[in-house]
Amino acid sequence: MGVQQDIREKGVLGAVAAQADSVFTRITAGIDSGEFRRMLQGDPPGRPNPRLKPHAESFLLHIKPTYYHESVTRFTHTFRLGLMSTYLFIVETITGILLMIWYAPTPERAYPDMILLLTNIPFGQFLRDMHRLGAEAMVAIVTLHMVRCYLTGSYKPPRQFTWFTGVLLLVFTLFLSFSGYLLPWDQLAFWAVTIGTSMAEAVPPAVVGEVVNLLARGAPDIGANGLMRFYLLHVLFLPLLLVLFFFVHYYKVVHFGISLPADEEEVGEDTANRVPADKRVYYLPDVLVDETSFMTVITTLLILLTVFFFQAPLEHIANPQSTPLHTVAPWYFYWLQGMLKIADKFVAGVLLPGVLLVLLMAIPYLDYNPSRRGKDRKVAIVAGVVAGTVMIILSWMGTPEYAVQGAPSVEIVQDLMPEEGSGISREIGYKHLPLGIWRTDEEYDVHDHEFNELLHEFYAAVDFYRRSDPDFNAPVGQVSITQDQPGLKKLKWEIFWFDAQGTAGSYEKSFWLHEDSIYWEQYGWKHLFFDYVADGWNELSGANAGE
Amino acid sequence: MHRLYTRSPIAKLMWGILSSIIGIVALLLVLVSEVPRMEAQTINWQGRSVENGATLFDSNCATCHGPNGQGLLGRAPGLNSYYFFTPTGRLADVGWAGSLEDYVKLTISAGRPSKTDSQWPEIMPTWGGQFGGPLRGDQVEDLTAYVMNWQESALEQTPEEDLFQPFDDVIKPAEFQNTAFLFLSEEEQTAALEEYKARSIRAPAELWQSEACFACHNLAVRQEDEPGQNGPNLADLFERAGSRVDGLTAEEYVYQSIVDPASFVVLTYEDVGEMPQNFAEKLSEVEIQGLVAWLLDPERDQDQEINE
Repeated sequence: MGVQQDIREKGVLGAVAAQADSVFTRITAGIDSGEFRRMLQGDPPGRPNPRLKPHAESFLLHIKPTYYHESVTRFTHTFRLGLMSTYLFIVETITGILLMIWYAPTPERAYPDMILLLTNIPFGQFLRDMHRLGAEAMVAIVTLHMVRCYLTGSYKPPRQFTWFTGVLLLVFTLFLSFSGYLLPWDQLAFWAVTIGTSMAEAVPPAVVGEVVNLLARGAPDIGANGLMRFYLLHVLFLPLLLVLFFFVHYYKVVHFGISLPADEEEVGEDTANRVPADKRVYYLPDVLVDETSFMTVITTLLILLTVFFFQAPLEHIANPQSTPLHTVAPWYFYWLQGMLKIADKFVAGVLLPGVLLVLLMAIPYLDYNPSRRGKDRKVAIVAGVVAGTVMIILSWMGTPEYAVQGAPSVEIVQDLMPEEGSGISREIGYKHLPLGIWRTDEEYDVHDHEFNELLHEFYAAVDFYRRSDPDFNAPVGQVSITQDQPGLKKLKWEIFWFDAQGTAGSYEKSFWLHEDSIYWEQYGWKHLFFDYVADGWNELSGANAGE
Repeated sequence: MHRLYTRSPIAKLMWGILSSIIGIVALLLVLVSEVPRMEAQTINWQGRSVENGATLFDSNCATCHGPNGQGLLGRAPGLNSYYFFTPTGRLADVGWAGSLEDYVKLTISAGRPSKTDSQWPEIMPTWGGQFGGPLRGDQVEDLTAYVMNWQESALEQTPEEDLFQPFDDVIKPAEFQNTAFLFLSEEEQTAALEEYKARSIRAPAELWQSEACFACHNLAVRQEDEPGQNGPNLADLFERAGSRVDGLTAEEYVYQSIVDPASFVVLTYEDVGEMPQNFAEKLSEVEIQGLVAWLLDPERDQDQEINE
């Protein structure tokens, strides 16, 4: 037998060692233990390079290049943004599949399923927060990746098509993130997507717009059909499309090589694939170690942000009959919302974004300047910076800060206790809201720091609108805090004022706050151990510190 | 230039190992705090449900059951009530075998018939969407949570403090046990039924309450954020009704809107959800006619104080 012969030749220990080494070589797809040790010690490979074998043997490695040019492995050249985008997509896929276990895409179940996830599933909130954070990070990173490629001129020949597929990937990423927005079926989701899909309605001619809108929503309004469609887009169609174009994109990246820093090659030349032997950084082990350690650091950052800082919002259940006061798109569509405020739906919602997208994809075919060097590309760089600035200004215009102020009375209450989210009243919480009637035309001596802060903001808000709005004279604000039920306080906000003609006006809005309600949005730093649950919240609740 | 890139794989490995340890520690922190977190989240969302219920109660229920659930004599019984919350109280009297929570949920959803012989002659309207009412399932749940939240204060009342002693219908009056009807002749039965129907024609203002018209419509011009936003305001219906649909007089239009609401929907309310379709079955012809006349009466607000 073979074994006996082995033992006869090498001795027992030698035979075992040889066997172990052969197992090791099979696991590493071609690197034996001796070579592995030399890798760890930093020894250069022999000739022919035995470290290339895994690239031929293993599927995962065969799509990676065997070596890179030293210049492109510098962190400050690529910032690893492409790798990070890909990695975030994998994180999203894993957390997304886990979240699908507890989710059913129907209006009756979607929102209760979210609450079930938060209340009854270990790591449920962690998964949801991480999925949301990862999605927003992915949009940001993919965009930054595009900005980097623009600034280094990496879209220039021969990489025009790589850029083209990259823009497509950015579009898919945006749609992927946006289609996931609807799934929690809360007010935030419902109205953001209602606004988003209503833009499709503006596609001319009217019949086409109507049909497009109907296809997206599944009915004239978003309902069970719309939710199912967005769900399928989110979990099946868009990810498949993204994976397909990712491979096209990545194939092109490997095929042409990552473009070198512009000043390391002649203008108009592309030497990325002609790497001199002394400039080669081999994938095994240098780049592999670099990439895995980088991804580990990114994972930890993601975990730390999720555990300690980030909260995925969850507002009230979707209510088609009540539009929240300040409805906003997701932040990456603020620019679109900003444009919609200054132009009509067709121009701002369909025409301009369409033209912008086509222009973006066509950049490599329009830019005939062969040089990738910054000093030769002043027009392109300035144009890019201007475009970025315009985007930021438009985004600012998309927030409620710009041109959507309601009546002062409505805005004051919305500032202090908004319909959705927390506001300072819910931030300080049940126990810091002493019973009584509190008016802005009187001074109180309250020994509760948090409540004092609320009163102070109330004075300030009323005063701000008194000065800025001529139709808001001699205003008085009043909040009556009453004990409505055990553990439930009612805050009745009332604003009285006179308009320019001297006519009296009044506004009234009531909200309730339960002692167990935690408005998660309030904390920058999550209360990890929930000590306040044991403490109880009601030590101060009965005391009216003012009178 | 300082470069973040370092060629030393050992340094990178150390970074990787260090950050894995930090990540694992963070995950362990999550692991040990998961049970209290889930508890906090559970009561948090129960609390939010009570808050939502409070808003719904304020706009839909407080008109009859009182703003603090204390009830209004002649309108609707108290819910913040000792009698209501003790197991030997209301539940035992109606012979309900389930929980109080289920009783509340069912009563909100399906309404409650037949309290005509008690001190609460008004009928509890149906609110649940599955029975033709205006509320979704989650809203019924929230309302139930809010009503159940009175338990603590209700049980602190002494039975004497509780104004709402057992309903009069608990021991049923003799005429309520209507078995004698079966032994009447056919003519007598018809006559008795006619008499019964004539006696039981409900006044329009009563229908306005019992069919919960006021939940979606207003009879007076009201502030924007008040309830009654889900259907057209009916304060000036008499001015508009005649011109809504070509070929229909005001009376015909209002009649059609009650019997077959889907046949014409005012443009602004197309997206709001529909008016219940079953009034033709729930109301008698005489009642509908009465309601039409009442709704079109310009003097209505002076005679009725129902909407205040």
